[in-house]
Amino acid sequence: MRGLRAWFLRLVGLFNKERRDRELAQEIESHLQMHIEDNLRTGMPPAEARREALIKLGGIEQTKESYRDRRGLPVLEHLIQDLRYALRMLRKNPGFTAVAVGTLALGIGANTAVFTVVNGVLLRPMPFPQPDRLFLVSFTPQHGPFETNPSLADSHYLEFRRADGLFERLASFTGSGANLTGAGDPVRIRTANVTPDFFPVLRVNPAIGRGFLAEEDQPGRDHVVVLSDELWRDRFGADSRVLGKEIKLDGAGHSVIGIMPPGFGFPYDAQAWTPLAVRIDSHNSFSRPVVGRLKPGVSRQEAQEELETLAHQLFLTPAEDRNGLVAQILPLKELLVGNIRGSLVIFAGAVGFVLLIACANVANLLLARASGRQLEMAVRAALGAGRWRLIRQLLTESALVALAGGASGVLLAVWGVPALIALAPAGKIARIEMIRIDGWVLAFTFGISLITGIVFGLAPAFQATRSGLRESLGQAGRTLTGRHEALRCALVLSEIALALVLLAGAGLMLKSFLRLRAVDPGFHPENVMTMTIDLPDSVYNTPAQMRVFHERTLSRLSGLPGVIAAGAVNWRPLGGALIVGTFRIHEDGNPRPPGFMVDKPCVSPGYFRAFGIRFLRGRDFSERDNATAPRVVIVTQSVAERLWPGTDPIGKQISMEDHPKPGDWLTIIGVVDDIKQQGLAKKSDPAIYRPYLQVSQPFFLSHMTFAVRTASDPLSVAPAMRGVLREVDKDQPLQSIDSMQDLIAATTAEPRFQTRLLGVFAILAVALAAVGIYGVLAYSVAQRTHEIGIRMALGAQAADVLWMVFGRTLALVCAGIAIGAAGALGLTRVLSKFLFEVKPSDPATFAAVALLLVFAALAAGLIPARRAAQVDPMVALRYE
Amino acid sequence: MEEKADVWQGTLALMVLKTLETMGPLHGYGIARRIEQTSGDLLSINYGTLYPALLKLEQEGYIASEWGTSDNNRKAKYYRLTRAGRKQVEKEAREWEQTTAILARFLSPKEESS
Repeated sequence: MRGLRAWFLRLVGLFNKERRDRELAQEIESHLQMHIEDNLRTGMPPAEARREALIKLGGIEQTKESYRDRRGLPVLEHLIQDLRYALRMLRKNPGFTAVAVGTLALGIGANTAVFTVVNGVLLRPMPFPQPDRLFLVSFTPQHGPFETNPSLADSHYLEFRRADGLFERLASFTGSGANLTGAGDPVRIRTANVTPDFFPVLRVNPAIGRGFLAEEDQPGRDHVVVLSDELWRDRFGADSRVLGKEIKLDGAGHSVIGIMPPGFGFPYDAQAWTPLAVRIDSHNSFSRPVVGRLKPGVSRQEAQEELETLAHQLFLTPAEDRNGLVAQILPLKELLVGNIRGSLVIFAGAVGFVLLIACANVANLLLARASGRQLEMAVRAALGAGRWRLIRQLLTESALVALAGGASGVLLAVWGVPALIALAPAGKIARIEMIRIDGWVLAFTFGISLITGIVFGLAPAFQATRSGLRESLGQAGRTLTGRHEALRCALVLSEIALALVLLAGAGLMLKSFLRLRAVDPGFHPENVMTMTIDLPDSVYNTPAQMRVFHERTLSRLSGLPGVIAAGAVNWRPLGGALIVGTFRIHEDGNPRPPGFMVDKPCVSPGYFRAFGIRFLRGRDFSERDNATAPRVVIVTQSVAERLWPGTDPIGKQISMEDHPKPGDWLTIIGVVDDIKQQGLAKKSDPAIYRPYLQVSQPFFLSHMTFAVRTASDPLSVAPAMRGVLREVDKDQPLQSIDSMQDLIAATTAEPRFQTRLLGVFAILAVALAAVGIYGVLAYSVAQRTHEIGIRMALGAQAADVLWMVFGRTLALVCAGIAIGAAGALGLTRVLSKFLFEVKPSDPATFAAVALLLVFAALAAGLIPARRAAQVDPMVALRYE
Repeated sequence: MEEKADVWQGTLALMVLKTLETMGPLHGYGIARRIEQTSGDLLSINYGTLYPALLKLEQEGYIASEWGTSDNNRKAKYYRLTRAGRKQVEKEAREWEQTTAILARFLSPKEESS
């Protein structure tokens, strides 16, 4: 308390100095007078009396000084002094200040922007009460071809829920979509199926109405729905009378029981929630995310141990199925950010490098300036400033520069964060709504600015104050170069090395991206427009009804002006889905190779023409290949080669049934080229196509993508395609309408984003490094003007001087590249999971980026080299 | 020069407080003289160091100051003990007694043995 009071009074003591000084002078004066009078009384002569009093006091000025130190806060006062002085120095050198602040603004701004995203996506808590107690329960394959998101099979969920004792509640949920009708135009909305405990687990309640009752997961009672605030406002005018009303989801009536609070859209930005009944079906086992809230005092580790024990005891699956299954308790956030973390960590590392390069640049600037300020430092030291005091002064200056850079950096980030998000592929950055510049981001920027200021300021400050007083004063006018030279070269070397690492990373990503884009998908995506529709089985409940819809749509589409061909496929290429299955061959001599599975799309006549898939032999499906005609299939080339190498597959028979009856045999009538179904980076999947008119399972018919090949710009037919859908069934919403090229671009959006961003950072790094090289060379040429003058006077040609500078540049850059390459070899390995057909140590890429760096360095050296070559020996010799 | 002990900060504060307790309000010069006299002239303080010490005590609230007139009609700043200061004198005096008593026990047998 006393300390605090004293501290406060000392703070007050910083103000109103003049009055306080006057009072102090008065007090000391009266003290002296009293002392002198006493001394006179003892018989001293007046002069002696005064002298003795002064000695006893210990000097007027010293007393005042120590009194003032106690009165105010010397540390603070010095800081204010330093700040004032620093501001004055920075104003006096606007060029230096602008370059230093600008360089740092780039580095700090990039870091702030990336941290803003990292903070929003990875660090900020989920918007639920006590989100750190929410965990995912997962028992999934972690390796091999079927790597999945954290989830639990339904049977495991039920068993785990029965046996568990550590979670307050558990809920299973899944995201899906539904057609909303009866509320304006039909529209496709994002829905979530959740068990009744879902909202209680998250501890989020509807803002209006109620959540699900325990029995509402039973058939017959489950026709209820909770709406998101957003959907409620968009579609129902925020009218609370909607409660109790019925809306249609996929044609089935659901009565609205609640509206969630604004901003709530978990999971997957859901717009409506319906109850989910988890029950065991002997044919299918769904695997869904499961979230639970741990009881107070229970740790994640305990839950993990419980899950592992239960997994061994309860999840009695055949041994071979259990292989590769991993039991995990994961933070809930993992569901959303698991995929993006890798990219973000790499971006954060990359901008960190950019900032280091910026630091090295500014340190070099400060070093150059320190040489010029040697005399100033010496004079200040001579006047009594301690070395620590001088260092503190210089650090104040660099911290001020860094803070100015940080402030500009925040401005850059304000502009940069939206740009960053805009660059990112839509839907790929989870929790995008959490991204904003908040207190944490500002604190982060302030922190790195201060650290930056100290990092780049420390070495120059020590250098500037190191030389002895006599030495410096003696050398006044001339400058010390040797020692600084080594430090500056080391800084430039590290800049080049860091820039090379970034360039190598960006180069690898670029090469990988180009390779990916050059992949032939097996069809011609140009001029193809697609339209995807989901037919709800509540309205279209027989395959015949669905086929009527498809037929009418197709005939109208092919009649549109500008359409060359129209077709349909149930799961389109590169759409992220495929139906894989086995089949049988109608020849005992040629058994199906074990493990050979095929994709089984259903297509309409004209599909191959619409997509531009090459026909290799045989004929296409036609309208006559209908339910009553002989059943036919078309296979891809890889199927033909694998099953009937060297022979014509036309006329051979296969069956999709495990135990085919005589009518189940399908005759091959054609062979087409293989296409990429799963993704450009994946291999082509062997496929057996069936005509949709001969398929009767609704599952294969309800989801259909219609494609048209157009004579001109495919987007121009989009309005007409919408019109066709309205004519055929005005209640069916479009799931999507896109050109095939846009759809392909979307599959490469993520690598494109990564490549672009790393590219931007790498270019920034090279530019900064080039500026650094320029700075060092320009400075050294200026320092060596005298020497160059002598050389030229002794007969050196301009070309010799030019090469002297270029030689130095090359030596610097080559050393930097060697160090950087060693670092890059170690670091690019983190990229390997993002690279397609490129090794992280790809020699061609390394060579290319090294060459690029050499060119950048030579370009940076050009001006100093020319300046050196133009030195006039007469002027140079007269210079000193 | 006769041998005189230096005074360090903590003890100086206590001496000032004790002086003010026994003497009542006093100006800086008076306090300095009084401390020297009380110590039997064994202590020599730089009078200048007294003023920062007084300021510190004032900032801590143990003493208060105001301008007054001295015996021979000179304007001077007078310091007096506050209530908190009185308590502090008691407390610190007690602590000093304890400390010196403990130290005395350490020092006396040592003298015997050496």
